[in-house]
Amino acid sequence: MSTVAGDLAKKQDLPPPGGYKKIPFARIPQKSYMSGFQMFAAYITATGIGMGVYYLTAKEIRQEQIEMRSARNVIQPILLAERDREFLKQLSRNRKEEEDLMKNVEGWKVGTWYGEPIYKTEPEDKLITPILKEFYVHASYDDYYNASTLKLWS
Amino acid sequence: MVITSSVNLPSEEELTVPELNVSTSALRAGAFHLGKHCEDIQNEFLLCRSELDDPRGCINEGKAVTGCAINFFQKVKKSCYEEFMQYATCLDRSSGDMAFNRCRKTQQVFDGCVKDNLGIDRPDFGYFTEARIHKSNRPAPPKPERKVYPDATPGLPDDAPRPAAKYGSRFHWLE
Repeated sequence: MSTVAGDLAKKQDLPPPGGYKKIPFARIPQKSYMSGFQMFAAYITATGIGMGVYYLTAKEIRQEQIEMRSARNVIQPILLAERDREFLKQLSRNRKEEEDLMKNVEGWKVGTWYGEPIYKTEPEDKLITPILKEFYVHASYDDYYNASTLKLWS
Repeated sequence: MVITSSVNLPSEEELTVPELNVSTSALRAGAFHLGKHCEDIQNEFLLCRSELDDPRGCINEGKAVTGCAINFFQKVKKSCYEEFMQYATCLDRSSGDMAFNRCRKTQQVFDGCVKDNLGIDRPDFGYFTEARIHKSNRPAPPKPERKVYPDATPGLPDDAPRPAAKYGSRFHWLE
């Protein structure tokens, strides 16, 4: 056996000088940054600031909505007047088209089923708005499709 | 179709007038001054429209509305064309719904021009949403008469005995 190997074999596993470090078994409480009172104060401050900003923003948005509604109220009668004229023109055209289409059918009266009116209790001169499909009955399907997409889906 | 031959429809000539041929941004840009300029005419038309609930009865009022709007835009075109187009273009390009709040600077320029040339102040932002009373010369349509049915159940005569309730009132704690 060599001398080196003999020394290694003799070396014992001993604690470091001064002994082992103590095992930390005591509870270490987390460091607290704020007291309870401070937390409540921070919450109230943040909420208060948030509510203030919300109030101001909501007020601004409300004013913008009112302004937009105001402008739309002005534009509405103009569009309605134009729409009414075009609507009445189209009703005349539809009626004429129906007259032309059914002129060879005996006993056919326009707007009725062989003289039997759809609305019996209404006065004769009352203008009843036709449903969309009736209004577009003499138009191409594409026109009806576009109108129904606009009107029935929105 | 439900339109019979006994329904009176106005002829094509009666309904044909020069129409207002401007885009949404222009209408939106001129809306407030236009509303002030044509306030009475527009109110008359809307009153007629809601009273009669029939587009045939308000053709002339509607023509007046369109005529007034055309007149206003012609006036603006004559005196404030540059400012108006600047404002309308700004509204058109600044947001998707042509919001007013993005274009306050161009609006100020346009408002000043309209005030100087046409003498119309821009009304308050909510002016046209407020309810107001409109005085009209047109007679109001007759109210529907109350129907009287001959076989309706006759009521008690006025001198019929009305004794106190036999088992007290439903609202006994109030009496």
